[in-house]
Amino acid sequence: MMASSKLAVFTIVFGVAYAAIYVISTELNLPLLTYHPVIGEVDFLWTPERRGPAMYWYGWMLTSLIGAVVLAWIASAVPEAWVQRVILFGCLAAVAYLALYALALFIYDKATVELEFLKSRSLSVVAALVVAAAISFFAPTKWNQRLWPGWVCVVPIGALGVLAYYLTPYFTR
Amino acid sequence: MAFWTTLLIIHGLLAVALLGAITHQAVSAWMPVRSKAGNFVTRFRAVPSTSYVTAIIVLYVVTFVMGAWIYTQYRFTSRLALEQLRFFKTVGVFEMKEHVATIGMILLPAYWAFWRQPLSEDYAAARKNVTLLLAIIVWANFLVGHIANNARGFGS
Repeated sequence: MMASSKLAVFTIVFGVAYAAIYVISTELNLPLLTYHPVIGEVDFLWTPERRGPAMYWYGWMLTSLIGAVVLAWIASAVPEAWVQRVILFGCLAAVAYLALYALALFIYDKATVELEFLKSRSLSVVAALVVAAAISFFAPTKWNQRLWPGWVCVVPIGALGVLAYYLTPYFTR
Repeated sequence: MAFWTTLLIIHGLLAVALLGAITHQAVSAWMPVRSKAGNFVTRFRAVPSTSYVTAIIVLYVVTFVMGAWIYTQYRFTSRLALEQLRFFKTVGVFEMKEHVATIGMILLPAYWAFWRQPLSEDYAAARKNVTLLLAIIVWANFLVGHIANNARGFGS
């Protein structure tokens, strides 16, 4: 089996890493810079509003750009199978976390006794990592031989789903 | 205000060109014609997909940069008006537009790599998928941009 070209690996990992880091930087608000459009000034990292609204979008994109370029560069230097394993593990962990946390909250809502621990995000994170590790371990070898190009669509679509979910307050007011 | 309105119109015109190019390419990639071109629909599908790649990338980047520039003005003019009018759904879809545009932008390197000549059979499926996703993104943002502008466009 032929290995993927370094260029393809770089571009696929760039897209995957950018989407993942972008979601994290928007949700944790980690902009590399803040732009104040009314006064036309730029601040380094996150700063609050000054005489008008502050814009973080440009900063989130820069944060993601730097992270994605670094990760894509590393990915194009290491064996392709490792990259595939890491992305598979990361995607499985993300899906498992969403499913397990939703299940935990559902059980918490329906339970007749107080199960406060189910609301803990860290519990779902640990459980998701265990599930992802187990599935990755038992995954067929052929799954991990080459980097799957489909990640470049799957991960950004997943990222859009998460971003859309976080915007639901705009549609429920 | 005339400056920003002009910029917005140019942004819209570039988006129309991008929309046409990506739709042509997506249709011809997903439904290539195998017989001689006949009616309008068949001829629409018969375009050479590879010839659109550079134009699509350039149009996407230029449209994105112009949109990001106009966004600075939108943020403290149109958006404030939309919030005061309690048009939260419009603000929400526009927030989504910025995320969708960013995701489209990051697909471009892979899109370019998959469409590089000579076309690799290894990336045939990925090439079609990424083109379709890019087409959906461009269509979605085009429509959302119109909705937001109709709700409270520049100069209104």
